Amino acid sequence: MSATTARRRFWRGVWVALKRRPSRLVGVGIVALFTVLAIAGPWFYPDRLPYDADDIYAPISWKHPLSTDFEGVDVLALVITGTRGVLLVAAAAGLVTVVLGTATGLYAGYRRGAADSVLMRIADFILTIPGFPLLVVLTVATNLSAWWKMALVLGLIGWGSLARAVRSQTLSLRERGFIEAARGLGMPVRHIVAKELLPNVAPYIATNMLIAVTAYIYAQVGLFFLGVLPLNTSNWGVMLNQAVFGSGALISPDALPYLLAPLGAILLLTLGVVLVIDAMEEIFNPRLRAA
Amino acid sequence: MSRFAWRLAGHLVRGLVMIWVVTTFTFFLIRLMPGNPVQIQYERLIQIGMSPDQAESATAVTYGFLPHGSVWSQYLDYLWALLHGDLGVSVDAQGVQVTDRVMAAAPWTVVLVLSGILVSFLIGVVLGVIAAIKRSKATGHALSVAGSLLHGVPPFVIGILLVALFTRVWKLFPSGGQYNADEVSPGFYLDFFGNVAYHAVLPATAYALASYGGWLLAMRSSVASVLGDDFLLAAELRGLTRLTQFRYLVRNAILPLFTVLAISFGLMFGGAIFIERIFNYPGLGMLLIGSIGARDYSMMSGAFLLITVAVIAANILADLLYTAIDPRVRRT
Amino acid sequence: MAIIELATPVRTGAPEVRVDGLTVAYRTDAGELPAVADVSLELPAGTITGLVGESGSGKSTLALALLGAVQHPGRVTAGSITIDGVGDVTKLDRAALRKARGKHIGYVFQAAQNSLNPLKTVGKQLLDLGRSHAVGDLRGLLRDARGLLDRMGLDAERVLDAYQHELSGGMRQRVGIMFALVLNAHLVVLDEPTTALDMITQANILQIVRDVHTALGLTTLVVTHDVGVVAEVAQRLAVMYGGRIVEFGPTAEVLAQPRHPYTRGLVNAIPRLTGDVDEAQPLPGRPPTLGTIPAVGCVFRERCPLRMSVCETVAPPPVTSADGRTVACHAVVQA
Repeated sequence: MSATTARRRFWRGVWVALKRRPSRLVGVGIVALFTVLAIAGPWFYPDRLPYDADDIYAPISWKHPLSTDFEGVDVLALVITGTRGVLLVAAAAGLVTVVLGTATGLYAGYRRGAADSVLMRIADFILTIPGFPLLVVLTVATNLSAWWKMALVLGLIGWGSLARAVRSQTLSLRERGFIEAARGLGMPVRHIVAKELLPNVAPYIATNMLIAVTAYIYAQVGLFFLGVLPLNTSNWGVMLNQAVFGSGALISPDALPYLLAPLGAILLLTLGVVLVIDAMEEIFNPRLRAA
Repeated sequence: MSRFAWRLAGHLVRGLVMIWVVTTFTFFLIRLMPGNPVQIQYERLIQIGMSPDQAESATAVTYGFLPHGSVWSQYLDYLWALLHGDLGVSVDAQGVQVTDRVMAAAPWTVVLVLSGILVSFLIGVVLGVIAAIKRSKATGHALSVAGSLLHGVPPFVIGILLVALFTRVWKLFPSGGQYNADEVSPGFYLDFFGNVAYHAVLPATAYALASYGGWLLAMRSSVASVLGDDFLLAAELRGLTRLTQFRYLVRNAILPLFTVLAISFGLMFGGAIFIERIFNYPGLGMLLIGSIGARDYSMMSGAFLLITVAVIAANILADLLYTAIDPRVRRT
Repeated sequence: MAIIELATPVRTGAPEVRVDGLTVAYRTDAGELPAVADVSLELPAGTITGLVGESGSGKSTLALALLGAVQHPGRVTAGSITIDGVGDVTKLDRAALRKARGKHIGYVFQAAQNSLNPLKTVGKQLLDLGRSHAVGDLRGLLRDARGLLDRMGLDAERVLDAYQHELSGGMRQRVGIMFALVLNAHLVVLDEPTTALDMITQANILQIVRDVHTALGLTTLVVTHDVGVVAEVAQRLAVMYGGRIVEFGPTAEVLAQPRHPYTRGLVNAIPRLTGDVDEAQPLPGRPPTLGTIPAVGCVFRERCPLRMSVCETVAPPPVTSADGRTVACHAVVQA
């Protein structure tokens, strides 16, 4: 079977899975919307959003569809412009996790033996340590304001579960004789890994990547929300922090939209990711379809 | 029984190694932090008029090691103090032992986390069974999506929504604290416990909501795989009552969830930071966040260390529980 | 092997079973497809019948249908199954069916399958069985179980106290037989009773099947793909292919002079211990799956050496000849 027919068959499978439940199409739409917002959103707004001290917590209108904040800044603009920074870091961190987790899992599952047990002990260790408290301590101790530092640390904290998933998949491929057969045919290790193993663990990587990126978005929002990171940028976490601890949005009903907007954004993104993962599970595991 | 003891011993050794790694990590983190806080405190004490000797020993009390001297001797001092349960002195609350503050805060966190896990476990397991049995129907799909959604939403979102809804929109519950000091004073009597329980309802619900989705998903896939097992068909063909068949199914499906319990504990203690901050609840998470605001690094590393120890201990407990329940591990 | 009298001597006689025009269909994406089509079969009281077929022939579906336990998405679409003392299984309600299972009809699983709850000892599961069937005298039930286990050469006390993972394949199979018989069921269905067992254990289990069959006075159905097993224990033999019974008759006669071309192929495919391995002729082609069974005509025609034009359009009806043998084949009946 040639590579193009395989690819065409794969995309047809994707389409069938999406069509089976329209909710999945909605999920893809939501995730795509946030990605577009992250990339293009800030182009539509000036660097410093306009504020209007006379228009604080404005009632919902066409001009301010999600009201305004304590300075009179449009909440919708805040939600949209706050997407990019967080998503960029999360995507970079997701990349770190995928590279580290895949490499570790493949290596451990391929080599087995001592290397495997040492690597898996490390993975278990990282999985056991409560990640968010560790992140808080690291943020305080090492000044993670630079985006790439934050991405690196997030990626380093989160690779454990992917490594485990890739390893067990590699081991089961090995049990099914994949690796021995390829080796018996005299294929080089590089070919076995790239052509035999990677395509088979790709579904796990894709699903894990999506979950990891979402988790990293929320971890950053959480750090801003707690005030562990400086509040000088605009994003959902800063909004939540101001709304809950700062301006008393919890007390004044006028300020409720300011609180609910970032919460709604998070809920919407989670819904999108959940629906996409639901679709991915069926695409990668057609047996579920029969059930 | 000796098998059980071996397993326990193995866990303890592994747990101790992990704790040692974590302490080493926090030590170097604080020692090598930008603007070395140990040195800063030493200099501040000199500025307020202490003699170098006094300042040196005062700093040593705070962090568990002397401000001068090599990293290695400081490290050994720190470990030695730790072995005696001495985490140093809090900078923020002058003169109070970190160990004392941490120990005072820990029970509040542990009680909340445990009650949250218990409630979410029960609800999640029940709904997970339903989701698995009805998995080809709309009910099952809706349950799964709702479970995934709650599982995916970060705990602070749930916490904020609960506060906004149940303490502001409907003023049903108090918005913070572990009890109302104006109404009751701590002691062993019913009113006090009632007050504590009243204050614990919302934060415990937040924990439960944050983790129940995970249980639901785990139980759903576990039930789905046990449903395909031959022994259930055998039970049906032997004419066992539906209730007995159901008990066989649930008991076998619950077992793998004990391995998930370990991960769940880690997440819950991580979530404690948010939930205690949102509900103003004085547990370990609140202590950790408070110490950061106050630049109280001995407090910070102490609180972090205790959270980690709690998670490791919970892991060991979960595994021993699993060993006790599964005869395949217990008797081989 | 010695036959020991059981503690509870009062036993009703072996029942007769009549399957009449049974059709069992599974719902698939391609519509409802029959796994068992218009099958009629009689199990006279006190006989051992062997039901032989390749996987996918519908033999397991037929066996499950005897217990009214066709699994979702399958269902009985036509026909009846009448068992003495139970009635028409296809018409029983859920509660009556449950009571009949275990009490009137015993089912023994394939040895490779785990028919025991891995988290409970055999003894505890026995008590669950007793309670489910409202057995008043649980102590008596345990006594009967011990009697059966002893008879099968097991250390009863040890087995009752054991978990599934502590038992060997042969032991599990004997425990399975005990579960099928302990409530005095007189109709026993054994599904691949010896598959996945080693040769010596296989011989042992078959000996036990014969032994309990005569000692307890049972009606027994052995479902298997292994003609050797049937030759060993069964008095009568039914051969299934593509959801139909293509040949039926006394075991010795069917095996010595198979009439249906499929049965001939099956018998020729068995390598004989004394003969040359090369003489064994494998059957050409593959058995059909649920989706590839021809809807009209003879189900075997694709692989049949005697294929005729009538086979394309008309399904051969089972014809019973004067010597008591039944064959469903146009070519054979014409001859």
